[in-house]
Amino acid sequence: MRCPLAHRARRAGRYTFDVRHLLVAGLFAAGAAIAQPPPAAPVAPEVQQLPLSTTAERVYDHAKPRIVQIRTLLQAAGRQTSIGSGFLVSADGMAITNYHVVSRFALDPRTYRLEYLAPDGAKGALKLLAIDVGHDLAVVKLERADLPYFAFDPRALAGRLPKGERIYAMGNPLDLGFTIVEGTFNGLVDKSYDERIHFSGAINPGMSGGPVTAGDGRVVGVNVAKRLDGEQVGFLVPASYAAALIERARKGSALVVDKAREEVGRQLDAWQAAFYEALRAGGFRSSTIGPYRGLESAAPWVTCWAATNADQVPKPRTAVNTTRCSSSTGIFVSDLILTGRVELSYSYYKAIDLNAFQFAKELSQRSGGNAVDPRVGKRLTGQECHDDFVAAAPSRPPLRATWCMRAYREFEGLYNVTLLALTQDQDREALLAQLTMQGVSHANAVALGRRFLEAIEWQR
Amino acid sequence: MAAVMWIEVLSSDGEVAARERIESDEARVGRAFNNDVVVADPHVAPNHLRIFRGDDGELVAEDLGTLNGLYAEHGARRMTRLPLKGEPGIRIGRTVLRVHDSAHPVAPERLLTPPRAHARWDAILGVALFALILFLNWLNLTSEPSANVVLLPMIGLAIVLFGWAGLWGLMSRIFLGQAQYPLHLRIAITAAIAVVLWDLLAETVSYSFAWREIADYAALGAWAILAATCWAHLAAVQPRHLKLEVGLMLALVVAGATMQLVTKAETREQVGQRATLGDLRPPAFRVVAPASADEFFKDTSATRARVDKARLKDPPSGGADAE
Repeated sequence: MRCPLAHRARRAGRYTFDVRHLLVAGLFAAGAAIAQPPPAAPVAPEVQQLPLSTTAERVYDHAKPRIVQIRTLLQAAGRQTSIGSGFLVSADGMAITNYHVVSRFALDPRTYRLEYLAPDGAKGALKLLAIDVGHDLAVVKLERADLPYFAFDPRALAGRLPKGERIYAMGNPLDLGFTIVEGTFNGLVDKSYDERIHFSGAINPGMSGGPVTAGDGRVVGVNVAKRLDGEQVGFLVPASYAAALIERARKGSALVVDKAREEVGRQLDAWQAAFYEALRAGGFRSSTIGPYRGLESAAPWVTCWAATNADQVPKPRTAVNTTRCSSSTGIFVSDLILTGRVELSYSYYKAIDLNAFQFAKELSQRSGGNAVDPRVGKRLTGQECHDDFVAAAPSRPPLRATWCMRAYREFEGLYNVTLLALTQDQDREALLAQLTMQGVSHANAVALGRRFLEAIEWQR
Repeated sequence: MAAVMWIEVLSSDGEVAARERIESDEARVGRAFNNDVVVADPHVAPNHLRIFRGDDGELVAEDLGTLNGLYAEHGARRMTRLPLKGEPGIRIGRTVLRVHDSAHPVAPERLLTPPRAHARWDAILGVALFALILFLNWLNLTSEPSANVVLLPMIGLAIVLFGWAGLWGLMSRIFLGQAQYPLHLRIAITAAIAVVLWDLLAETVSYSFAWREIADYAALGAWAILAATCWAHLAAVQPRHLKLEVGLMLALVVAGATMQLVTKAETREQVGQRATLGDLRPPAFRVVAPASADEFFKDTSATRARVDKARLKDPPSGGADAE
């Protein structure tokens, strides 16, 4: 549900919708400008007394020479295929943006190239210096010297920014022009494996990689995503990760463009290793699902939801109660690949008036397999499966289990794995367990899969 | 002692058009009316052929010096003298003749099945088929039963069976002169029962032994049943070139089965297998002992090797990134 904010080319219908809104907003702004006298030059000592909009003006004035639009161009056509934002952090032209803004170029440098566009109309080529796929950050370099640049807010770096502080997100939403958005700092997102700042304000596609500053113009975070199922729920990467990546880019050797894909693979591998280690360290407990028990993660960032068909009309012939627990992790790798998620789900089925054959048929239909999206064939291989009857121990119910995996074509040793297991001890009730792991190594998948199967037991 | 010989003149579609009994050791054939057998074919000479008994008592045909000559029925070489031992067919002009001795062996008498008996079998099989399908539908019924769900497919199947038997009946009428509709209907119903049972068996065995491939390739068995069915229909029709037609039918069935396998392989190449537990049965149907977790996860290495291999191949076409 989190949506990265790089703005891609859209269908014409949607685009005209955007244009119409632009016109309405434009007329309104013109009317306001006529009614009000031109703003006076900012007066620093009297910040407290000034209306809030004056702070925004001052912040934007400060930011204007320091922000850029980052465009991914198709080599062959010389036209943009996606846009995002970025901001300068050093006098020699280093700028921060999101990894997902430059992902097309990083994975396919022969087809795409990067270009920046400054608010004053200056344009030029960009070099990709470093990436941090896990935190969705990248460092790019403009070939210009003696540029003004942003400083990081020391309170943000130390994690001491107070909840409720007004902060300002900047960028170029939907390619409509550079924009400043006022919003509220709401601390770090609860129940999240990745550290993300919860920003209450409207951020939109195209603002990805833009800076978010405090009222004094110092950076507290980087625009990265928003929730599509909420209003004004935005997410920022904390400034500390951007500062760390800058350090890495300064010290380390620059990224070799043709090797960027290998670097992405290395980082994804390191990310999953750390993630599954954190999952192990978070601990597991046994949870009750009807008369069965299954595995549940005790990590605070694994959240569970339950569902039932009890209120269905007409009355169902099989009662189904489902518990679904997932890590709310999602790593943007490329346009079609979001990875880094793990999900454990258990459905307890109990026949109401079905016989054993009908119940088995019902279960066959319910475990009918995930639909495979053929479009991702370029990024993932086809799915291969292994199925068998399994009994983890003599005291445990026999299971009918299927292990399915797809490999990432571009990243060796990473897989999407689905493990389905159905208890085979009762005629008219059963537990259907499903473990889904994205972007995982075979060893980590086997380790968790094994724990998952071994935890399934009959408790009566 | 003058033995009897029979000369048959065949029509263009292979039927016997005329049959002459010759009570002599020699017969003459031609277009002129002084012959023993008169053939109305402009490509036959007025005095075309002499058939007589050779020194060994076997019949021999002899060309009397004609323009179009004398051939064995299926022969391509022009003959002056053609011994008829064992191969009674002769071709002159566009006409085929068959010469038989009185000692020529004939097929034994065939048992006549009274038409009512076929019909009774048809009824029994038909009831068995529909009872079987009703029973299986009931076993697979997971929602509320409704007449639509239960009866519509059965009516569809009945129409297909009657139509299929009707087409074969038409063939029989053309080649054999009688429709044999009950026989064809019986073959069709038997085939339908065989397909239903085969499918049930394949799915059950696939579950019992946790062997996905059996269910995956069960369709091959259905194709084999189709081939056997077509053979049974053809044998009943008794066309003139039975072997040829059976071969053609077999080739079609093999081509169909191959097409299906190729499509399956292509789909597998592009999207792979589905994460499914297959067609399940009640747990009592399990035959193989469950594997240990060790064995199960060890086997995932083979799955890994398959996707690793697929990874190095070019991605299938049509899988382009969507905007």
